[in-house]
Parts: sequence; structure tokens; C-alpha cells
Amino acid sequence: MEEQKSAISVRNVCIDYRTITAGSIKQNFFKIKKVKQEIFHAVKNVSFEVPEGQILGITGKNGSGKSTMLRAIAGIFSADSGEIDLHGHSISLLSIGVGFDKELSGRENIILSGMLLGFTRKEIMAKMQDIIEFAGIDDFIDKPVRTYSSGMYSKLAFSITAILETEIMLIDEVLSVGDQKFKKKSFGKMQELISKKDRTVVIVSHSISTLNALCDQILWLHDGEIVMLDKPEVVMPVYEDFMR
Amino acid sequence: MLRFWKDLKGHYRYAIFSAKASLKSEVASSYLNWIWWILEPFCFMLIYAFIFGTVFNAKEPHFGVFIFIGLTAWNFFSRCVTQSVKILRANKSIVTKVYIPKFVLLISRMFFNGYKMLFSLGIIAVMLIFYRIPVSINVIYIPLVFVVQCVFTFACMTFLMHYGVFIQDLENVTDIVLRMLMYLSGIFYNLETRMPGRTGTILAKINPMALILTSYRKCLIYAQTPDIKWLVIWLLVSVVFASLGMRIIYKNENSYVKVI
Repeated sequence: MEEQKSAISVRNVCIDYRTITAGSIKQNFFKIKKVKQEIFHAVKNVSFEVPEGQILGITGKNGSGKSTMLRAIAGIFSADSGEIDLHGHSISLLSIGVGFDKELSGRENIILSGMLLGFTRKEIMAKMQDIIEFAGIDDFIDKPVRTYSSGMYSKLAFSITAILETEIMLIDEVLSVGDQKFKKKSFGKMQELISKKDRTVVIVSHSISTLNALCDQILWLHDGEIVMLDKPEVVMPVYEDFMR
Repeated sequence: MLRFWKDLKGHYRYAIFSAKASLKSEVASSYLNWIWWILEPFCFMLIYAFIFGTVFNAKEPHFGVFIFIGLTAWNFFSRCVTQSVKILRANKSIVTKVYIPKFVLLISRMFFNGYKMLFSLGIIAVMLIFYRIPVSINVIYIPLVFVVQCVFTFACMTFLMHYGVFIQDLENVTDIVLRMLMYLSGIFYNLETRMPGRTGTILAKINPMALILTSYRKCLIYAQTPDIKWLVIWLLVSVVFASLGMRIIYKNENSYVKVI
């Protein structure tokens, strides 16, 4: 394992939330007098490495800093201290319906969403047909998204992120969308995407079976600190015991 | 500064496309579609022309065009500014899910409002022909005035976007300030003739919007050269403020997500 190149290096990362930052002008005036700010430490001094091509699962109870960690890796916000190095890989946070506009057609939303994920229009156009096919919503693709059922909406959204691939994928428990058939298809696609050799994946999930089936390593966070970081066979039994 | 150009280059396509998309979605479910972008300013012009031309008896020559030029330029500014206060909250679904240089959202808004402004410019051209106002060589200054306007607008937007995240009632303040500025900028009266003397000159020069409106009118209606000295001064001031605003935004970019 040592000789493998790292795709993601996280070193001593701390992330804080300041709880009273947004407020009215009135509050801001009062704050001049009492500057005491409540600081909530969401992630405390976490370090780990993900080698290229590996799948890391992050688990832990609600509010343990999993999603915060994931967003920090995606670059949506920076760590307050420590550093996150992606070694120049392209990255995307697999999330449903980024930048969708409900008045526009499915086709236009694909472009809009794709561009936000950092693809050029040409690249998106090249994959357009694949996306439409995978989503399997047929004629609805040219109708405004607001007319979609919630199932069609998530199918389209999932297809965009699944087909427009990046080197590192971050997944925040979105593995089950749509009806039974699409669920199967998307889980299959997920596995196919994830198991590609050169792809590095970070999954946040509560589902023990998903984590067991897919991951090479599990990172268990509790209150923003690492409890365990090891192979699923080692971590999962202890975690299951803990959650009971 | 370098980062600004790099980010702009990387994302301007998105800015344009999302601006187009929101334009499209705005009219998607209305009957008259994009005709509203012509109809709306035109109707407002008629209202103002009636109130100020007939009721208050204003005696500007070509009063219709006079108001319309003012309205066009003002609307662009005021819409951009109003929208920028809440822009991050409005785009929460994007901002919390992918990284995007936040000023790109501002640029996209400017394209959005700029495109609407194009329609108004078309009407201005038609009206100029209708009133038989001769086109003078001074039209060449219009791009300069436009650049000043854009940079000044952008400078305002950067600060409002930043503080809009942290101070929730900033919107109320901007509303009042904008309203005040609107009446002070001389959209439906001529600052120079209504307020002669020192006060008038000061008001017309230190208020960039007034300066910009007057400059447009001078170029288009009166065949005069606009006040280049003041335009350049305001351009420089705006560039300085825009860069300061960009610095603040870049510095705080990643903490916005935690607050909204």
C-alpha cells in the first residue's frame, strides 16, 4: 500500500462553524459590546490519505462531521487549519440537481448542471445522448423540469453526475433514487463507476451493507474525531456494536 | 488580480449560459414572452412622461427619449444592485454543492440585466429616429460611459454580496438608498437646469449615476461631449473599489457556505 500514490491527502484538518454570524444589523450593533462568539468544532484534527483507485467509506452518527469533511474535500469551503491536497485530480461531489432551473427543459438543465460541475459545453454535448438514455425519461427530456415527477427528477439528476465522470468522486448517500428498476440500474452503475481502476471514491453512508460491499477502507468519525480507520472487516463489527 | 482573470476565463461561459437560462425561464410561462422586456420599460416611460411632462409640466425637449435613456441606464444598475444582496442565498443550491468563484454569479446577473438593457437600447434607437434627432460624432463616447457604468455597478455588487451574507436586513437599507439615489440622479428631470449653481453641479458630479445618465443623454440627444474628466475619475475610483471588493470576496469565499 505504501508505494501507491495518494489521490487525497488530508492533514490535521480542523473545521469550525461560528454559530452567530448571520444576523440583523441590530444584532451586529450589540455584538460590538460582547464579542463572545460560539464556535462549534465540526471536524477536529483529522488526517488520512486515500490512495489512487481506492474507495473510502466515511461513517458515523448524525452530526459527526461526515458531510462537512466531504464538502471540505470538494473545495466548497476551506479548512480552518490543516490542509487538503488533491494532487491535481479533478473532483466532483455527487449531488442531486445542482443548479437546476425548474422552468427549463431537461436538456438545458443537463448543460447547466454539467457546466457547474466544470465541464465544457462540448464535453457535455458529446455525452448528452448517454445521459438521456440512462435517465430513461424519454420524451420528457424536452419538457420543463417542473412537470417531472419527483422520481424522474432524481433520475435525471443522478444520470448527469453518473455519466459526467471525474477522477475523484464524492458521494453523499444518494445511492437510492427512483423506482425499483432504476435503483438496481443506478446501483449497478455506481458499482461500475466506483470499481474503475483509476477512480478514487469517497462515500458517506449509514448503510452497513453498502459500505461492506463497496469500500476498501472505512473511516469512522465521532464528534469530529477519528475513532477508527481500517478495513471494513475490522471497523464494521465494532461500529455496529456501538450503534446498537 | 491574476486569479480574477483566470477564474473569469474559466467560468464566463457558465455565466453567459446561466444568464440565458434564467432569461428563458423568466418568460417561459408568460403569454407575451420576451415582449415584456420591451413593454415594461416602455409603459413606465409613458407613466413618467405623463406625470412629469403633463402634471408637473416639465419642459425638456424630446421628453420621451430623455426619460427612457435615464430609465434604461438606471434599471440596469438598480436591478443588479438589488439582486446582488440576496444572490448567494438565492443560489444556495449551487453554492453549497459545488465550488464556483462567487463573483461569477454576479457576472451572470450582469449579463442577465444587460441583455434586457439591449432591448431598451433598441427602443432608444427607434425613438431617436422617430423624434428625428440627428446622430452626432459623440456617439463614440457611449462605450466609455458604458464601461464606467459596468465597473461601477460591479464594484457596488461585490460589497453588497459580501455584506448581504452576514447582515440580513441589508436589503431594506439598499432599497432606501437606491430610492434616494433614483430621485437624485435626475431620471425624469434635468439636474443641470433644475438645480443650477453649486449644489446642482456637485450633485451631478459626485453621484456617479447622475453623471452616467447625463453623459448618455449628452451623447445621444444633445450632441455634446460628455464630461470626460469626471468619467475617467469615476472609472478609476470604481476599479479601485471593485478590486477591493474582489479581495474581500476571495478572502471570505469559503466561509459564505457556512453561514447561509
